[in-house]
Amino acid sequence: MEIDFLVTVLLSSLSSAAILLIAAMGLAVVFGLMGVINLAHSEFLMMGAYAALTITKAGVPYLLSIPIAVAITMAIGAVVEILIISRLYGRLFDTMLATWGLSMVLLQLAVLLFGTATPSINLPQFNISIGDYQLAGYPLILIGVAVIMLILIYLLMTKTTYGMQARASIQEPEMAQAIGIESSRVNTFTFALGCGLAGFAGAVLLPIIPATPSMGMAFAVKSFLAVVVAGPVALTGTALTAIGLGGGASITASLLTSVAGEVFFFIITAVLLWRYPMGISAKWRRKL
Amino acid sequence: MFKIINATGGYGKTTIIQDISLTVNEGEIVALLGRNGVGKSTLMRYATGLIPAMDGQVEIDSKIAPSAPAKRAKMGLGYVPQGRFVFPRMSVTENIAVAAASNGYNPKQTVADFLKDFPMLAPKASDLAGGLSGGQQQILALARALATRPKILLLDEPTEGVQPSIIDEMAGILKRINEQQGIAILVAEQDLDFCLSIAKRAYVMEKGCIKIAVDKESLLADKLLQQELLGV
Repeated sequence: MEIDFLVTVLLSSLSSAAILLIAAMGLAVVFGLMGVINLAHSEFLMMGAYAALTITKAGVPYLLSIPIAVAITMAIGAVVEILIISRLYGRLFDTMLATWGLSMVLLQLAVLLFGTATPSINLPQFNISIGDYQLAGYPLILIGVAVIMLILIYLLMTKTTYGMQARASIQEPEMAQAIGIESSRVNTFTFALGCGLAGFAGAVLLPIIPATPSMGMAFAVKSFLAVVVAGPVALTGTALTAIGLGGGASITASLLTSVAGEVFFFIITAVLLWRYPMGISAKWRRKL
Repeated sequence: MFKIINATGGYGKTTIIQDISLTVNEGEIVALLGRNGVGKSTLMRYATGLIPAMDGQVEIDSKIAPSAPAKRAKMGLGYVPQGRFVFPRMSVTENIAVAAASNGYNPKQTVADFLKDFPMLAPKASDLAGGLSGGQQQILALARALATRPKILLLDEPTEGVQPSIIDEMAGILKRINEQQGIAILVAEQDLDFCLSIAKRAYVMEKGCIKIAVDKESLLADKLLQQELLGV
């Protein structure tokens, strides 16, 4: 009975951490790697969710709608990079203002197109039972999804020519050009990739988080904090902060109250930022 | 082979170099001398395309170079900047591999060859470049530029902040690649001895212009010129 309870708490906390990691991954690329603060990030998550929703309603199987949602958000991300972001690299506040404006436009566009009501998709829900406890199955699947997503992005960024070019273009933009890298094209793709990851998050979370125009907001703050606390080693760092902060908050919430869980998240974040102003990974000798 | 023609450039509205022309012939090593702040680095950046041309042009292999730095690199222009600027959170191997791959060369083969050619880098192959010493970073920046298989190599203050043993090694490497692979080199330096140990002739800059072009022997003989223009 005790063991059952612990396993249940552990699994549900891991799935909370996984959900945070899935939502934060796009930010880890766009903010953690590229250093671009995209305040429209939560709207990309929302667009991914609505894309998957609309496509599923049109009769396409849900699983197939996910890659299409990613492709759509990537394409929109590429357009945003070319039209707005590419002109503002190195101008932090201008980027924030521009993307904030974009976020308002996208949000209102979603309200106009879809309304504020909450349409849902009817996916077969399933539960698994551990002793006396029942756990929803889908959040547990997300643990696997988060792990696979993390590994794939890590391999893409470290093992492929594109990945090396992306990191080179971000770390030393001028030298990247001087050794023959078309860094503006590479940056467009990297930004689009981050937006596509946000879209992926929106689509893959759809069965548990219904699409609403402001759904991204719920993730924006915590994802941002997880990425900021992670610091310069963006991928490994964010995986760790998602598990530590997201998982820790969830455990606290199970043992005490959900308010205590939130308090845990923000207090630990504040303490970590106080002890490690540049992020916990500032002194790690790792690539990503 | 490599020509800068009537180069005028600078930053924003400030003109730093004015109407500079110089030539580096096939397989030649040429020095660009001058005191601090005369515009050597600006001329180098003009040549790579990293600062826009206000006037003039660059010719690589007798063809007019396009304005984008990446296109110039692909035409055979290699650049080792002052201050090295290796990719700090990438490994030594990746710094070389990304340069090779971006120009259509096999990254694995290039890295293997280069670690043999630059034995100093071999024990550091998987370390992050940002953690290397100044001299090691300089050798890495040179290896990275060579991995693009340049026809003309621009070196900006390669001896700055580098220990003497590595300076000697670098002179050896530059002579070797020049003789064996016929890579032409333009090297901007304040260290006259280093320059004259590898270059046969030099351009001397003063206040953003080329003051004179001299060969090694006349410069060595003319102590007055050395003192006046270089402060040595």
